[in-house]
Amino acid sequence: MRTLIACQNPDGGWPYHPGGPSWTEPAAYALLALSANRSAAEPVERALGWLRSMQRPDGGWAPTPAVAQSTWVSAVVVLLGPAVLGEAPYRRAVAWLLDQTGEETSFLTRLRTFISGNQTPPEQRFPGWPWFPGASAWVTPTALSMLALGKAFRLEPSAAMHRQLQGRLQTGASFLLRHACSDGGWNYGAPRALGFEARSYPETTGIALLALHGIDSSEVRKACALAQVQLAACHSSEAESWLRLGLLAHRRLPADARAPTRPHRTVQNAALALLASAAEHGPNIFLE
Amino acid sequence: MPICNRREFLQGSALGLSLTLAGCSKPPQARARAEARISVLRAGDYGQELYGEMRRVLAEQRLQVRGKRVLLKPNLIEFEPDSPIHTHPLLVHAAFEAFRALGAEVFIAEGPGHRRNTLDLADAAGYFQTIPRFEDFFIDLNLDRVAQVRFAHPRSRLQSIYLAQAALSCDLLVSMPKMKTHHWAGATLSMKNLFGVVPGGVYGWPKNVLHWAGINECIVDLYHALPKHFAIVDGIVGMEGNGPIQGRAKRAGVVVAGRDLAAVDATCCQIMSIDPRRIEYLKLAGDVGEILKSLRQIGEPIQNVRTRFELLPVWQGIRLDNPVS
Repeated sequence: MRTLIACQNPDGGWPYHPGGPSWTEPAAYALLALSANRSAAEPVERALGWLRSMQRPDGGWAPTPAVAQSTWVSAVVVLLGPAVLGEAPYRRAVAWLLDQTGEETSFLTRLRTFISGNQTPPEQRFPGWPWFPGASAWVTPTALSMLALGKAFRLEPSAAMHRQLQGRLQTGASFLLRHACSDGGWNYGAPRALGFEARSYPETTGIALLALHGIDSSEVRKACALAQVQLAACHSSEAESWLRLGLLAHRRLPADARAPTRPHRTVQNAALALLASAAEHGPNIFLE
Repeated sequence: MPICNRREFLQGSALGLSLTLAGCSKPPQARARAEARISVLRAGDYGQELYGEMRRVLAEQRLQVRGKRVLLKPNLIEFEPDSPIHTHPLLVHAAFEAFRALGAEVFIAEGPGHRRNTLDLADAAGYFQTIPRFEDFFIDLNLDRVAQVRFAHPRSRLQSIYLAQAALSCDLLVSMPKMKTHHWAGATLSMKNLFGVVPGGVYGWPKNVLHWAGINECIVDLYHALPKHFAIVDGIVGMEGNGPIQGRAKRAGVVVAGRDLAAVDATCCQIMSIDPRRIEYLKLAGDVGEILKSLRQIGEPIQNVRTRFELLPVWQGIRLDNPVS
């Protein structure tokens, strides 16, 4: 935790690599980690000031001040919740997230597919979330958006909004289940290409499992079994953290799972490791 | 000791950045195609002799890089240490040492398109083991500073793009791809390798915006947006079949280098028994016939090193021995 605080930039944000410019994603994960560990107030206040100043008029967040476009990082910020962000900024951010879908499920793309006489592939029937507006939906931004909107769903008092959130969460889950690789896990979101099956990745398998918490199906059980194998042979701190979080969400983290061993090579990975550790010993901030 | 550290490199790059962007306004078609000196080096394996060979190649390419900032951009994609996916770290280190011997400040940089953990990828690919103090010289192009570039004459649907500032501001960007077939582009070589300068931190993993805007068109837009370039292609062991990730190892036994990326890629295609006139991004980059005419080859003649890279059925039409219609 001390290392994380030491990496905070003078502007209040966090870089990916110590000494680099502030980016939204590591700042949001660092804030989540500080919140989960009930840490010092001063760095949190400075970080919140930076993050609030970064919210764009459309309600979303750009990945860095140098970029003039709201993107997937908005989902990570929304995970902080209304108590941290403030009710009005939070609601605008949730509305921005609800508006986003992958371009492959847009009306225009579907119309083009229909006119060209092609059939929409089954995996493209359920809208997920893109990394960047105007592109296809992929596993990680879909999982992050589901986690953010799942939190909004649990906090939302309005019945109409509840239904809207529930609808996106259900289609998001269908998106993830349709994009699983044949080995049971997930890669970035292309389980096959030109007839070739692709392998899953541990980090995306972990985050997809976390987003699918509460779903008990044969697909999820198969993914959990694979995640346990992946955790034992993990190459990166990021993958270790997401796998632990995903398995914890399904109460499938083996009691004898080895302690995290990989070096944290980015600030974001250090924050994720803290979040995974906090979830093992207390509440999982992604699912609270 | 490094000549300057990674942060100094980035800070010192502002002037270079503005010059780079100013250079982008020149219409691509206005560039006369000068003679392209292409070095084709026969190399049987990744042995110590590569260090000397790389110095010889740079000498024959007559590069003046003393005091210049040089960015080596290898190709890293996956955690598969036994598969020829990555540019071999020994070749990268040989190039690193050869440029340093010429007096350049050299950095290594990459922004992988599928996996987020770039340093872990580099570790798994053997870069930490092969290149002393690798982390001091490495820039993750996915997560570092970015700058917006407007395409003067876009081929793709993009009018502008955010790119890693380190790639825009260096004095020489050295594209160091693996010689591979590619399931969407036919072949992935020094031009396609430029996708790695598009920051994942902005566009995600994969950088799918480029696919919606047109893969081949984006390759050419990046080629024109990054004009101060050089290429060193790792074809010692390449990849055939379902590249760039799931293909099989293919020993071609060559390193190909030159200042003109299109000419280098056209040469590599011929070595791979692929017809460069059928590769869409080369066609968009210029008249491929003119590119081929501009080649002035140094080293091994192509016919001596030509080898047949297996192609997926959908790419059989780009085979060199197919008659051009």
